[in-house]
Amino acid sequence: FLDALPRVTCPNHPDAILVEDYRAGDMICPECGLVVGDRVIDVGSEWRTFSNDKATKDPSRVGDSQNPLLSDGDLSTMIGKGTGAASFDEFGNSKYQNRRTMSSSDRAMMNAFKEITTMADRINLPRNIVDRTNNLFKQVYEQKSLKGRANDAIASACLYIACRQEGVPRTFKEICAVSRISKKEIGRCFKLILKALETSVDLITTGDFMSRFCSNLCLPKQVQMAATHIARKAVELDLVPGRSPISVAAAAIYMASQASAEKRTQKEIGDIAGVADVTIRQSYRLIYPRAPDLFPPDFKFDTPVDKLPQL
Amino acid sequence: PMTPITPATPASESSGIVPQLLYAFKSRKIWNKNSENIVSTVNLGCKLDLKTIALRARNAEYNPKVRLASIQITCFPPLSSEEQSRLAARKYARVVQKLGFPAKFLDFKIQNMVGSCDVKFPIRLEGLVLTHQQFSSYEPELFPGLIYRMIKPRIVLLIFVSGKVVLTGAKVRAEIYEAFENIYPILKGFRKTT
Repeated sequence: FLDALPRVTCPNHPDAILVEDYRAGDMICPECGLVVGDRVIDVGSEWRTFSNDKATKDPSRVGDSQNPLLSDGDLSTMIGKGTGAASFDEFGNSKYQNRRTMSSSDRAMMNAFKEITTMADRINLPRNIVDRTNNLFKQVYEQKSLKGRANDAIASACLYIACRQEGVPRTFKEICAVSRISKKEIGRCFKLILKALETSVDLITTGDFMSRFCSNLCLPKQVQMAATHIARKAVELDLVPGRSPISVAAAAIYMASQASAEKRTQKEIGDIAGVADVTIRQSYRLIYPRAPDLFPPDFKFDTPVDKLPQL
Repeated sequence: PMTPITPATPASESSGIVPQLLYAFKSRKIWNKNSENIVSTVNLGCKLDLKTIALRARNAEYNPKVRLASIQITCFPPLSSEEQSRLAARKYARVVQKLGFPAKFLDFKIQNMVGSCDVKFPIRLEGLVLTHQQFSSYEPELFPGLIYRMIKPRIVLLIFVSGKVVLTGAKVRAEIYEAFENIYPILKGFRKTT
């Protein structure tokens, strides 16, 4: 859904992927050799620019790459840097200011995209999530049903939804950490956006967070797999009804780490997961009685099950 | 194996009696109505100095930040009927009168009714949110209960894993009952079997 350029296809082989011939500007069907498009304009960049070159001379005659989906079309006129004496006034400043406002109707939207990119960058989210977030934001913005809400709040909520939709959910607290908006407000916007766009998201599970939390705690793969198994079994056996999956995951990590050589305190786990250590204690108390059943069968215990801490 | 659920023709409300298991089928619903709160407004027909009233009258809360500057009068113990709510409102009109304002009792209207009950079995909220996702919102990070927005009647139900249900948003008592009638068979379908 990311390509707005017109697609040409071979009339005989509509499924064939066309081969581009740069030198002649042709698009050729590999099946039958038919030249489907000729005199195709190359939209690649005209010059290559390197960062160590002096930045004053930018020979490119076109602007930035187009972002047609997310803005109005990005068609605007900009005034370039002046050359020659006439373009400078008496103080040495340029007579005509460099960039005029462009696409003022979507200034807020572009600002939001910048904010989204900044937020995503802080937690190293990949480009596909950022693109999805931008698309969600655009849909919400055009609908205008959440017009009164702060754009940053909507952007944060879109980011949360995008992570959920891509199958790698981030907790609300993790999104709060990179946004200036409160968890309450993000939660409210989240519910409003789901209603406005008439979508829904899958329920979070304990396994979604295991790899991230365990990596942040520098726990080895064995412990991570054990914790995943413990959490899944605990939910299956309904030992923790009504507990947030995050809390259950944190308690499972605690149990797994305490049984291994890499022990972590409740406080450390609580810091990473964003849960209070009393919360971990509560969930841990619920899973402790069935501890021997929860561990995976091939787990190597550094501390045996009966010596696990009892809180 | 679970006893077959007879289709819903509920018996009359039995206030909180747990039916004995006869002939291996359950036909009665169990319903405890523990508390019911009623919020109502009344037009007292005169200008009020809200601050004076709030300071002088007991049980009155004045919240100037709320848009419609109003006095919320909370009654303890919770009222069990609409008539009592009206009576309480009259009593407060009297209190306001005694404070020196020419109060009259006009336009008494009940704005909201809340009911709570217990289905007495644990509920699989994850299953419920999967099948009824247009009506349900279940986010354990935000709130431990499932928020079910029923369309007819327009009632919001908070459904918890323990089996407790809170119904709110009703203007008349019948709506609460109707909403519970609607949700009970659905909840039975998501009963936890362990």
